[in-house]
Amino acid sequence: MRLLLVEDNAQLAEWLARTLRRQKYSVDFVTSGDDADHVLQTEDYALVVLDLGLPDTSGLEVLKRLRGRGSTVPVIILTANDSLDARVEGLNSGADDYLAKPFEIAELEARIRAQLRRANALQSPVVQCGALAFDSNTRRFTVGTEELTLTRREHAVLERLVLRAGATVSKASLTNTVFSLDDEANPNAIEIYVHRLRKKLAGSGIEIVTLRGLGYVLKQTVVA
Amino acid sequence: MWRRSLRFQLVIGLLLPLSAVALLQLAVAYQTAHAIAGRVTDTLLLASARSIAEHVSFGEGGIEAVVPPSALGIFDLGYGDRVFYRVETSEGRLLAGYPELPVPTRRTPSDPEYVNTAFHGEAIRMVSVTQPIATPAKTIESTIVVAETTRGETAMSGALWRQNGGQQMLLVLVALLVVWFSLRRGLAPVLRLSEEVGAREPDDYRAFSAGALQTELRPLVTSLNAHMERLRKQMDAQRRFTANAAHQLRTPLALLRTQASYALRAGDGERQEAARAIQSTTNQLARMVNQLLSLARSERAREATRFEPIDLVAMTREILEEQAPRALEHGLDVSFDSTSSQTDGVLGDRASLRDLVSNLVDNAIRYTPAGGSLAVNVDESDDGWHLLVGDTGPGIPPEDRAMVFERFYRRQERDAEGSGLGLAIVKEIVETHGATIALRAQPEGTGLVVDVCFARRVPELRS
Repeated sequence: MRLLLVEDNAQLAEWLARTLRRQKYSVDFVTSGDDADHVLQTEDYALVVLDLGLPDTSGLEVLKRLRGRGSTVPVIILTANDSLDARVEGLNSGADDYLAKPFEIAELEARIRAQLRRANALQSPVVQCGALAFDSNTRRFTVGTEELTLTRREHAVLERLVLRAGATVSKASLTNTVFSLDDEANPNAIEIYVHRLRKKLAGSGIEIVTLRGLGYVLKQTVVA
Repeated sequence: MWRRSLRFQLVIGLLLPLSAVALLQLAVAYQTAHAIAGRVTDTLLLASARSIAEHVSFGEGGIEAVVPPSALGIFDLGYGDRVFYRVETSEGRLLAGYPELPVPTRRTPSDPEYVNTAFHGEAIRMVSVTQPIATPAKTIESTIVVAETTRGETAMSGALWRQNGGQQMLLVLVALLVVWFSLRRGLAPVLRLSEEVGAREPDDYRAFSAGALQTELRPLVTSLNAHMERLRKQMDAQRRFTANAAHQLRTPLALLRTQASYALRAGDGERQEAARAIQSTTNQLARMVNQLLSLARSERAREATRFEPIDLVAMTREILEEQAPRALEHGLDVSFDSTSSQTDGVLGDRASLRDLVSNLVDNAIRYTPAGGSLAVNVDESDDGWHLLVGDTGPGIPPEDRAMVFERFYRRQERDAEGSGLGLAIVKEIVETHGATIALRAQPEGTGLVVDVCFARRVPELRS
């Protein structure tokens, strides 16, 4: 899951990004409205955390432009102004949720999960594919009762695949999910992560099938 | 209290002169009544005397006087006055009347003489006239004296002036009533306004309507409204400031929470790093709180008049000494110089001036990159004392120079650590002290020089 964090206080942005990365999210952060507007047009995010008090283009303006482009990406507004009017205006401008500073990290994380769950049309926080289960609350993968230990990028690839289990996931969309702005995006690296995941999933009854020229499909191994 | 009452003042102010005039009128009326009554009495006396005089004649028994009843009857006006008369010849022979009735001394024998005196224990008014009587031998003079007690006269004049006095009193009473009621009517709009002012919500700064208020009282409403407008502006500024301050405190608090929760979940190595970050954030927060307090202090100093002579040179040196280690740690070269000989020329509030110098020095250290320099001067010149804080930092472009004094204004993203209050505080203090502040580049065109000039005169407190 790739998230965009827009927050003008560079320290807060950085520490929030660090905290969220530990939850195996890919996080990009920008500290100005103009930058946010720019990356939102070029990159594909699963969710945006948006501060309203930005030094140049205001957060509300960024949000209005984003919705104006027809994007449905979930947006959580983060701001120091918790007045009723500001909340209403934020939600009316197309935000999905609103969190006032100083917020608890646990609450921000819970709201991010809730928005992602809704965006992926999940009924339950736990996604199951055969023996493989992904708990979107704890953000952990388990095979049977055993926890699967994954790196952040492996996690990103598998999360994307499991959320669309049984369907084809293009290599391009995997690349976009896995690499943040700071990374050198290398589509070939996806193959390496898939290779490692196959190893870790060996014997679980779950396989990642390569469809040449199309992408990958996560599915249960058909027992002959 | 009641002495301050408008009603009391007006009533007293009107009652006293009006009563004085009324009393004067009463006195005049009394005199007039008296004069009229006197004239009536005198006319009756003279008519009576003349009537008697006509009946003094020389007959068979010599000179004799017959007093006709009409001569005495004309006095019967119902006051029960008694009438006395005496007729005698110039030789002193009594012809008729009371021998003991005194005869007034005549000043001009031809004119009637009126005298007030007493007779038989009663005040009387008398007249004496002379009448020549022709006898065969010669013409002799006879004197006729007629007197009347003054009861009728007194009663008549009393009746006359009592009536007049009653009218005067009525006039005063009516005037007082008119004042009382018209005052009540006149004061009604003022009382309504007063009720309106009293019933206002504390946060309602709308203008009051002059409504039915008299023209003379409209300036009161005008200045009341002007005052309300000033209050409203001040409250708005205060509200904006509070909102801004809350806003500014929330972000570092959010950062602190993020760092703390990160530390809680982190391993040992990362926990160390997070703890250091928490410390740094706490310092930022502390600095911001101090800045807010300092701003509040400079606002209070505006009201205070406890300005004292300050040795600006010593104060600046002291602050520089305190801050020098930080500057050195930052890799800056620090210098101080002064051409001022007078040690306590600047009048000001000590705590505020310390804040001013500290903020300028702190800003210079904060924004000047390592290897740069910080030069502070206190110079005395014709127009006063100049505190010059120069650095070799990035400077402030001319178009931004007015903006940087705004509260919570932050020019660049990297200012995020600053509170955005430092220069706002400086400006506030500068204004309180009637000083001026100018920002310019160093002579070579880079860096920044902040020039605060304290005028030579006694600073006037801004209202």
